[in-house]
Amino acid sequence: MAGRRSCVILGGGVAAYGAAEALRAAGFDGPVTLVSAEPVVPYDRTTLSKAYLQGQKTVEEILFKPAAYYQELGIELRLGQRASAVDFDRRELLLEPGERLPFDTLLITTGAEPVRLRLPGFNLPGVRYLRSLADAQALREDLSRAERVLVVGCGFIGAEVAASARTLGKQVTVVDPLPVPLAGPLGEEVGAILAEVHRRHGVELRLGQKVAELRGHRRAEEAVLERGERIACDLVVVGVGVRPAVALFQSSGLPLENGILVDEHCATDIPGVYAAGDVANWWHPGIGRRLRVEHFDNAAQQGAAAARAIAGDPRPYTPVPYFWSDQYDLNLQYAGYPGPWDQVVLRGDSAAPSVTAFYLRQGVVEAVVTVNRPRELRPGRRLVEARARVDPAVLADPSTDLRALAQSVRQAE
Amino acid sequence: MTAPKGYVAVKRYDEIPEGGIVPFRVDDDERILVKLEGEIYALSGICTHEYAELAEGELEDHVIYCPLHGSGFDLKTGKVTSLPATEPLPVYDIQIVDGVVYVSREPRQG
Ligand SMILES: Cc1cc2nc3c(=O)[nH]c(=O)nc-3n(C[C@H](O)[C@H](O)[C@H](O)COP(=O)(O)OP(=O)(O)OC[C@H]3O[C@@H](n4cnc5c(N)ncnc54)[C@H](O)[C@@H]3O)c2cc1C
Ligand code: FES
Repeated sequence: MAGRRSCVILGGGVAAYGAAEALRAAGFDGPVTLVSAEPVVPYDRTTLSKAYLQGQKTVEEILFKPAAYYQELGIELRLGQRASAVDFDRRELLLEPGERLPFDTLLITTGAEPVRLRLPGFNLPGVRYLRSLADAQALREDLSRAERVLVVGCGFIGAEVAASARTLGKQVTVVDPLPVPLAGPLGEEVGAILAEVHRRHGVELRLGQKVAELRGHRRAEEAVLERGERIACDLVVVGVGVRPAVALFQSSGLPLENGILVDEHCATDIPGVYAAGDVANWWHPGIGRRLRVEHFDNAAQQGAAAARAIAGDPRPYTPVPYFWSDQYDLNLQYAGYPGPWDQVVLRGDSAAPSVTAFYLRQGVVEAVVTVNRPRELRPGRRLVEARARVDPAVLADPSTDLRALAQSVRQAE
Repeated sequence: MTAPKGYVAVKRYDEIPEGGIVPFRVDDDERILVKLEGEIYALSGICTHEYAELAEGELEDHVIYCPLHGSGFDLKTGKVTSLPATEPLPVYDIQIVDGVVYVSREPRQG
């Protein structure tokens, strides 16, 4: 009989961490190797735009666990090693600069990478993207010397970097082509509330506008907007979205489409090959469509779900996706299924703000967002999970007890 | 009536509502009592991720969820059931004597 099956986890993000822990917890006793291009053990990437960027946390404080923990779990760490290709016939990973690493099962958690802007001047020094700890260290360094920060893109990363830079006392301008920030994931109502929060904190918003080019001698010194406005800056941070990190699989035979295609057990079409986290486009049987989610909680949970499948205990992965964002002292949380809605119901006080928003499609609660109203998140999430139909007037009514409502919906199931 | 050795009196059992989370302090330590299906649990009151008061959290299926980023902790063991927290929540032992809930000063080990 051959030895115990081995598992290679490719990637060093939260999906990899969740998987490593869950593999052992589920009783997988074969050799496990974690290969990451980053020279550091898995850490909490979500702090890179917040506490870490603001200098409130050290590297040690953002590691999920120290290296010794992986040793205890009997997991070999191959840090600072990038895979350049994979050979599924020979079941080998090709590591730079030329090593081959065999595997029986492979779990791909390569995450996502920032989309690079190809506009004139964006190759100048002083233009930063933010994904890895190395990016954050460089940005933190630049930020300590900068006075005027230009943020290109007001998605979550852009909004959080803007908030952190303002908190550090920098002048901040944010440019985004949409009329309100985050309208895609959160809708115009909540987007407008966030825009107001940034304005109140002194951020200059240039919404509905695009950067045409950057100019400067040795570094980026000025941005020119398409309408002609010029904005002086000594640091530019670009946050215009990410795309799944699949370059090394391009000609490998692995089915790709908006990431790596996997089923409800995180399995690809190739036997023994799984994917989880930002890179995985999975079939969600609960809602009958594919999802690819770019948030922490999904990566952690899906990594663990893939690990259980690898360990021989597959269970369909059918979460209500969840994420948070912190900007200034504002806490935003989201639970629900991304996608089109036809009605947004607000509850609370938009000015404070202290608001809960419900996103309905044909009367069904598809998602809930809380802004500084954390207690309504989980009751709201239960409504989403139950695919509840609730009268919008009842949702908006501040005297409605959401917990009791969620309870009654659950019991009616 | 004296407290069992190493324990402090917190509240009368009857005064804790079912499904309720009651904050209390021992010295400067913030803690919570939870009553669920008649059982009492005592845990640290501050999330192990960042700073959040778990008295503002939500109970679901014997897990307490942090109000800020959704970390979940098992009520019985304090174990993390969902990230971003990675360190368990300290849990405390309970004794109920003459209808009064007493909580251990020191966290339960292991
Ligand atoms: C600045 C920032 C702030 C965020 N804030 C939040 C937040 O507040 N809330 C939230 O829910 N989400 C947040 N997110 C998103 C969240 O961090 C991601 O969803 C999560 O990190 C995804 O985890 P993952 O393990 O799938 O991928 P990643 O974390 O991207 O990890 C991928 C890993 O794979 C490695 N890798 C890639 N290719 C290779 C290769 N060829 N060979 C070897 N290794 C490779 C990478 O180096 C990396 O270590 C934030 C993201 C960023 C960048
Ligand atoms: S502070 Fe509790 S989950 Fe972050």
